[in-house]
Amino acid sequence: MLLRLGLASAWNRRYTLMLTLLSVALAVTLLLGVERLRHATKAAFAQSISGTDLVIGARSSPVQLVLYAVFRLGEATNNLRWSSYESISQLPMVAWSIPLSLGDSHRGFPVLGTTAAYFTHYRHGAAKSLFLIEGRPFATHFEAVLGAEVAARLGYRLGDRIILSHGAGDFSLGEHADKPFVVVGILSPTGTPVDRTVHVSLASIEAIHLDWVAGAPIPGLTIPPEQVSKFDLQPKTITAVLVGLKNRAAVFRVQRQINEFAAEPLLAVLPGVALDELWQVVGLVEKILLLVSALVVVIGLAGLVAVVLASLNERRRELAILRSVGASLPQILALLLIEGILLTICGALLGFALLSSLGVVFAPMLESRLGLSLALALPNSQEMKLLGMVVLTGAMSSLIPALQAYRLALADGLNPR
Amino acid sequence: MPILFFLLALLAPLSSAADYKLGERLQPKKPDSARSSTFNQIGWEALVPKGWDPAADFRGINLSRMRDGDPRAILALEKLRQVYDEAPLEPSMSGKPIRLAGFAVPLERQGDEVSEFLLVPYFGACIHSPPPPANQTIHVFLKQPQKGMSTMDAVWVSGTLTLHRAESGLGMAGYRLQAEIVAPYAKLMGKQ
Repeated sequence: MLLRLGLASAWNRRYTLMLTLLSVALAVTLLLGVERLRHATKAAFAQSISGTDLVIGARSSPVQLVLYAVFRLGEATNNLRWSSYESISQLPMVAWSIPLSLGDSHRGFPVLGTTAAYFTHYRHGAAKSLFLIEGRPFATHFEAVLGAEVAARLGYRLGDRIILSHGAGDFSLGEHADKPFVVVGILSPTGTPVDRTVHVSLASIEAIHLDWVAGAPIPGLTIPPEQVSKFDLQPKTITAVLVGLKNRAAVFRVQRQINEFAAEPLLAVLPGVALDELWQVVGLVEKILLLVSALVVVIGLAGLVAVVLASLNERRRELAILRSVGASLPQILALLLIEGILLTICGALLGFALLSSLGVVFAPMLESRLGLSLALALPNSQEMKLLGMVVLTGAMSSLIPALQAYRLALADGLNPR
Repeated sequence: MPILFFLLALLAPLSSAADYKLGERLQPKKPDSARSSTFNQIGWEALVPKGWDPAADFRGINLSRMRDGDPRAILALEKLRQVYDEAPLEPSMSGKPIRLAGFAVPLERQGDEVSEFLLVPYFGACIHSPPPPANQTIHVFLKQPQKGMSTMDAVWVSGTLTLHRAESGLGMAGYRLQAEIVAPYAKLMGKQ
């Protein structure tokens, strides 16, 4: 009975209430969206590397090194010498090492020069190794293995010819058009930066730059692809090295050894430690974002309270009539409380629905551009907690207009003014 | 005010800063009989065999009389490094159920959960300062991956200690721990 009266009364004021509902819903969408993106980012970073004990590169900041070597974000400050790589790979504690050479791209996708060790030793997620859904790893020069995303977005199949560009990013600084690569393998999707990478052998990287000097082709000199094997294709420098150890507990000792490498200034970092460092930096921004979205929720709820409070004035007669026909004070209180709580719950549900539909629309873009996977999912425990807090705060703030109505005298509503 | 409560509740889980100084060790706590019935609480010194003296080779050397960059000093440091890397293990600790406090350095994560980490005796060990001896680093495997752990978190670890023997090469041996329980170390309680 009370509920029906409440609903009928609310229907009468549907336009104002609808707008309030919308503002609460949008606030909840923002709050949950920030929370979800935060988790997706962390998960994406954490699952991109597993089983690697040290990431080694030229001396710079640990975070920067991990970002460019593992996540292909940003650029290397400097390279390390091939001779340094050889001595690192021969350290007694080192079980395996993967050399990485970055700097070229193919239509915006990074090109990674590496060795066969990459396919056998690189691990991601819960120690999962890479798996070729089609073809085989590269064997000689000018063969490429594509990440799943590269193949899917550009529509490549085995046997297709692709041309690499010099420099990273969408704009190219020059094309290696004279030396096309043949697609020989396509990797299965991993949800990591591997999906967006074109893998070629280190020697191929060297070969396409044979007739280049100082970042530009030498005018008048072209070396045809069939003649490159006459040249020394041993790389002189590489960008970074991934290292796995025989005994993981020895990681600090090897790290020390490499950081004090006499021949060249090098930096070795534990990927997990570097990621924690990154989260410390990003943590403040995260907190601010979460605080801002929380404030938006507060503004939404304040709007709700304001609307219900303002409606008290126009509902003076309605409430007075209800009381005159026998509604008790607690019933009036409940009527207003229920209205507030229902509005917040509907707002929270609508907000979640809005977020889910936005997720469905934007998931492919986020997946391909940033490698974030936003799966359509029911709220997890943390999101449930946030939703619960929103509803609880909404309920508590609805007490304000409810108590106000409680205090209004019966006579006040019935007296003509 | 409900609104203030909302904001505070939201920010509470985010503000947990570890405030240890570089090189700080965790205070030994009186064994808590209720909890450590199956796991024996030990200190880090229990992992060092009695009679191991890393300074034995350096008796005659007075480092304070040498200048920076003195080749003899550099040689001595290198030798010390090697002694530390080959620090022997205490064989009687093998298979013991223990409980030990230290700082964690995560090695493996899945999403938010850590499944493997290294336990070291002092804050900042290895990241900012020379690594501890081989017998003061424990490779911990978690039975149940732990949520929300980050580098240099102070933790209590309970589990079974094993000795990892080197198959080849020097400095390959070390302690391993199959952890049953990993709990955060409460600093205030330790200081009392």
